[in-house]
Amino acid sequence: MVNPVHIVSIGLAAAFLMSLAGKRQQNILAYFLMIAVGAMSFISLQWLMEIYSGGAGREVFTAGFKPPFAINLRMTMDEAVLTSIINIFGLFSIIYLFDTFKKANNHLLSIFIIYLMGLNVMVMTRDLFNLFVFLEIVAIATAGMMIMSSDKKGISAGFKFLIASSVISGLLLLGTLFGYTYTGTLNIDMMQALPLIKGGAVALFLIVVALVLETKPFPANGWALDLYTSANHGVGAMLSVLSAPAIMFVVYKMLPVIPQDWQLVISFFGIITFAASNYLAIRQENIRRMLGYSSVAQGGLLLATVGLADYLGGSFYFVALGFLLTNLFAKAGLFWLGGIVNSDNMNKWGILRKKPVLLLLFGIFAAALAGLPPFPAFFAKWELVMQLGAGEGWGWIAIMLIGSLFEIAFLFKWVGRVFKAENEENAPANFAMHKQIPALLLGAGIIAASYFFIDYLNFNLTFVLIPLLAIAAFFVIDYAPAFIKNILLIGALSFYGYMIYPELQGDIMKLVFAGIFLIGGVLTLFPGFSAKGARKGFYPFAAMTIFGLLMLVNPADNLTFFMGWELMALGSFILILRGKMAEKPAFRYMLFSAGGAYVMMAAFAMLNNISGAEFFGNINIPANTAGIIFALLAIAFMLKAAAIGLHIWLPGAYAEAEDDATPLVSGVLINSGVLGLVLLVTSFGPQTLFGYDILHIMGWIGAITAIGGNMLAIYEEDMKRLIAYSSVGAMGYIIFALAINTKLGLLIALYYTILHFIYKTMLFISAAGVMHRTKTRNMYEMGGLIKSMPLSFIVVLIGIITLAGMPPLAGFAGKWMFYNAIILKEWYIQGAMIFFSGIVAFLYLYKLISSVFLGQLKDNHRKVKEAPFYYIIPQLILVMAIMVLSVQPQWLMQPLSTIIPASFAGEALQWDGNLATLSTGYWNAFTIMSVVMAMFGILFLWLVYHSRKAQKVKQFNIVFAAEKPFRPETTHVSYNIFAAYKKALGWMVTPLATRFWERLSDIFTAIADKFRTWYTGNGQTYALHLLIYAFILYIAISGGKLL
Amino acid sequence: MEQYLTLQNIGIATGFALILIGLYGGLTNKNILRIIVSFTIFNSGLNIVIVALAYLKGRVAPIIDDTTGLDNLSQKFVDPVPQALVLTAIVIGLGVTGVMLAYALKMYQNKQTLNINDFKETKW
Amino acid sequence: MYKNILILALLVGLGILLSTAITDREENTSLPELPAYYADNTAKEVGAANMVTAVIVTYRGFDTLGEVTILFVSAALIAMFLKTGNRRKNRNPRPSSVILSTAQKLLFPLIILFGAYVFANGHLTPGGGFQGGAIIATAFLLWLMANPEGEMRHGILSSLEAFSGTFYVIIGVVGVILGVGFLNNSILPLGELGRLFSAGAIPVIYSLIGLKVGAELSNILHHLNEVQNEE
Repeated sequence: MVNPVHIVSIGLAAAFLMSLAGKRQQNILAYFLMIAVGAMSFISLQWLMEIYSGGAGREVFTAGFKPPFAINLRMTMDEAVLTSIINIFGLFSIIYLFDTFKKANNHLLSIFIIYLMGLNVMVMTRDLFNLFVFLEIVAIATAGMMIMSSDKKGISAGFKFLIASSVISGLLLLGTLFGYTYTGTLNIDMMQALPLIKGGAVALFLIVVALVLETKPFPANGWALDLYTSANHGVGAMLSVLSAPAIMFVVYKMLPVIPQDWQLVISFFGIITFAASNYLAIRQENIRRMLGYSSVAQGGLLLATVGLADYLGGSFYFVALGFLLTNLFAKAGLFWLGGIVNSDNMNKWGILRKKPVLLLLFGIFAAALAGLPPFPAFFAKWELVMQLGAGEGWGWIAIMLIGSLFEIAFLFKWVGRVFKAENEENAPANFAMHKQIPALLLGAGIIAASYFFIDYLNFNLTFVLIPLLAIAAFFVIDYAPAFIKNILLIGALSFYGYMIYPELQGDIMKLVFAGIFLIGGVLTLFPGFSAKGARKGFYPFAAMTIFGLLMLVNPADNLTFFMGWELMALGSFILILRGKMAEKPAFRYMLFSAGGAYVMMAAFAMLNNISGAEFFGNINIPANTAGIIFALLAIAFMLKAAAIGLHIWLPGAYAEAEDDATPLVSGVLINSGVLGLVLLVTSFGPQTLFGYDILHIMGWIGAITAIGGNMLAIYEEDMKRLIAYSSVGAMGYIIFALAINTKLGLLIALYYTILHFIYKTMLFISAAGVMHRTKTRNMYEMGGLIKSMPLSFIVVLIGIITLAGMPPLAGFAGKWMFYNAIILKEWYIQGAMIFFSGIVAFLYLYKLISSVFLGQLKDNHRKVKEAPFYYIIPQLILVMAIMVLSVQPQWLMQPLSTIIPASFAGEALQWDGNLATLSTGYWNAFTIMSVVMAMFGILFLWLVYHSRKAQKVKQFNIVFAAEKPFRPETTHVSYNIFAAYKKALGWMVTPLATRFWERLSDIFTAIADKFRTWYTGNGQTYALHLLIYAFILYIAISGGKLL
Repeated sequence: MEQYLTLQNIGIATGFALILIGLYGGLTNKNILRIIVSFTIFNSGLNIVIVALAYLKGRVAPIIDDTTGLDNLSQKFVDPVPQALVLTAIVIGLGVTGVMLAYALKMYQNKQTLNINDFKETKW
Repeated sequence: MYKNILILALLVGLGILLSTAITDREENTSLPELPAYYADNTAKEVGAANMVTAVIVTYRGFDTLGEVTILFVSAALIAMFLKTGNRRKNRNPRPSSVILSTAQKLLFPLIILFGAYVFANGHLTPGGGFQGGAIIATAFLLWLMANPEGEMRHGILSSLEAFSGTFYVIIGVVGVILGVGFLNNSILPLGELGRLFSAGAIPVIYSLIGLKVGAELSNILHHLNEVQNEE
């Protein structure tokens, strides 16, 4: 095994020798540099392998004397990992910066390798003064590398950095010498007694404050932000990935010397840095500066983790490694992609779409950084939050999750821009191979890291690993034509259903939801057969969405549930983003979805304290013990189900998604919220929050949502938005039904869920078919399509009759049970509201069918044919399902009733053949259907008989109206059809919720703008910030009294 | 109070005074060169403190020669460690000062001004 | 104005904090363990009469390596930074006075000799590589002041700098190869205390350092001078 000190000797020798080179040897210098750094990497890796396979580490004594008489270096697992990262990343950076290095003079190369060497020693040394010396080396080398960037900003940024660095290192030197005075040694391992000696606390304080200031804490980090903004992308990556973790490791090394309560203060300040820096990143237009804020934030998170090392105990390495690797691969990857795109303007990043592999990399890096599964930061954050919860650090959790939400905000705003920004000519992008390959390696790195993390956590094979593999497979085969991929996905889903059926057998509820997700997924994929080409980027994310949903059905613990939730959110976000005008709605969707998810995470942390990691759907929580958890989870699920107030993301997202993605995203996805609510209501007993019965509040929310959704639908001209708002209304019904919390209520909720799934999916697919043929979404541009699209007409007709709840179709069963349940519960006011919303629903349903199919056919639609074959098939299947349910509802309802726990109050529906009875009444679906069919049949025959003698007239015959219809549009009755209602009742639908959320977001951005002017750009002011921060840290640590 | 007025403490206090003066100058002066000079004063103050901390009353410099002999040296010498450390610190200060001066030169070449308030290109 | 008061207040606070080093510290009456060890054992283990040199070059030799590196990086940075293209554009410096140029011719070799003496005897008398190197650089400063238009052969200086540095590292590595530890000075015989050729590798190391520092500082001065001459 090579002595680790040779990392230093090789680095230095190489640096000195390179400075000898004259002009003629410039060319080979870059190669020489690579060999030297390669040798350094080799040494680190050698130790890493050795220690990983059980070998012992090594203490390197210099000068032949043992510490404290001489300086010693240490090489154990920690140091091996970090030095390997430093050296190997240095090697990749050389490749990335190869063109710069080839043209640079030899001094730059020497400075570069000394930078790496200095970092290595910072990690390995055990002597405080040695640390100071090599910290200075790194600082000066950093200042040297700033010159690599060719613009002038780098120079003033470098100077500001030098000022700050001087102040910090001065404090460190003073603290070190004071420490020596009090303890008589400079060796870290022997300084443990420092804080206990009288006056020693001051020395320790100076050291600690210097180290903390070096980690670039908010708000004393203006100098660091300027560094990131002006540095070359390769240098920025190194600062973020190497310098920051190195100093964090130094803090980690010093932990035995630092008292426990100081550690907590440091940790807390780290979390604040995380939240505040992510917050300010939102307002950044300059990509490099934004990445700088993000890097500072990640540094804060890492610092918080290090400060909590004692508290985290065994989980420390898991969490720290998760964040470290994410920072290493994802952050550096984003920096390097920035160098490839070569622009700081977000709007120029659309160029990435020209290189699909790079686009995929960008997505991977952004998702990994945001802490989405399956990447390491997701698991690390989960573990950290659970551990913080165990110690009841709710404030900490709140700050961290808010910071994560801000992170998602700026990252996904960026993602949206990349997907949607217009591409101009003459983009400054630089797609050189030597820049792309290291970025690809980083992508491979994060995938490998994710694999190890998932492997470590021992997830269930069938329910977690296989779905993840399936999703990955679809990314790989994305080059295939759409037809093949469609078959493969449908096949995969079917096979998966077949595979999990035995596992789920017996648990009807899981079967129901698994069925909804699977069958819904397959049906909504059918229209995809008529798409041409490869349809790149659709199938992996469709797979992600559906498999993510499936993970929600039978999770072993809360983590798996949450992972499925986030996967589903990410997949659907991209699906929505693919729509033409979808950038803003998709962003809104992601933000709300992430907000709900983080609320859920906080609830899970609280749940962890009460009942451990067990999946909440499998346990029973007694009444009145977990009010807050219930409320939080309810909020999260209701957000997904678009309850009023939290619904504003829904219409935009559903409407702007691609026409055949909408059925999947709306009809199928929204049921995830329902699943959550059903699980919630069945596992938790009734809960109170501040004395209010939460279910009672939920009931009101449900009723208001029902009315609100339906009212908002009636004024819509856009077909998709109308159906989308209708979903909001239906969700209101379901929420209300669950809130009733009786046997009947739960039955209604489940029944309605299935029914809504069937008819909404059916309606959306049908609408997609119509829109596909007529090429428009506005209903007033359609009309008279009944003749050309008769099948679609029938489908929509069945759909709206079901939705309206009219007999004889299946919707009536739901309505009947609903009113009975309301009467039994005695919630009369809410009942009246639900009744009223039902009537309102008639209005828009009528508008839907009449505007599109009835009325006059437009000129440009004369040649329209029926919807494509692949659109019709799923619709017909669903229609048949409805017809079956209408005649024999008990085939569905009796199995559903078995899910309902006996603990629920109220009476159950009694079945006697086809007759259903309750104490309040009875109903027989079969009889109703027979009667109606008979009536219909008689009338129909009579019409057919009389129409033999009918006289056919053309469309523009005066017979149709008493007007002279020269142009069809003027006779279209549907345009602004409900203007009168709008005048009368329009005030009810003032977009209060939308205004509220928009106002909130405006306030946030305004505050962020105000705050970021703290960074005035003046280097001297930044130095002053350092002192102010030191003062604040002093107050926090010592509480104001003299140490 | 008198017990604090030892030679060593006077030295340390002088060092502190220089540190504070240097910091004040570095934080209030507008001219870049003055800032650099202030930091030089700051460094000097640091070095004086370090050396002063090494002093023991009544002892001599840690060099072996005929007057000290070879025995009982630990009773005769002042602390050599801070003296070694201060050597390193002085050199480091020199390095940083040199680099800062080079930066100052470059900044002047770019903008023809040495006022630090004029270099605010990256902010917010 | 208010900013200055704030700065003043913060610094006063810092001053109070620092003053605890005066008030809380107990006066040392004897050396702590570490320096006592050095005091008692330097003669035997290292063989240098100047204890500070022993600490710098041997016991804490790793720090010195770092220190040398810092100077190297600074010099490299300055060289890289101030590499301007057209050096000899508008050079009209004022010629130096007769006194200066005459005195320089006399003093230049003397100062260099003195510097060499200082670093060669670093292990015996106060002084050492850095001090000697600084003195040598002063000689070059004098030369620059006396010959404002002169062109230093900084190629030679750079090579000197690089080779010295490399040899320093090699000496350290030799220590590892021989198994006695990185930068152990006992790879050369310790000799008799007080003689010039004693203390093992220390004179060699310090001489290398002296040459390196001298060359580097001279280079720095040279580059700074070059830039100035452009105006």
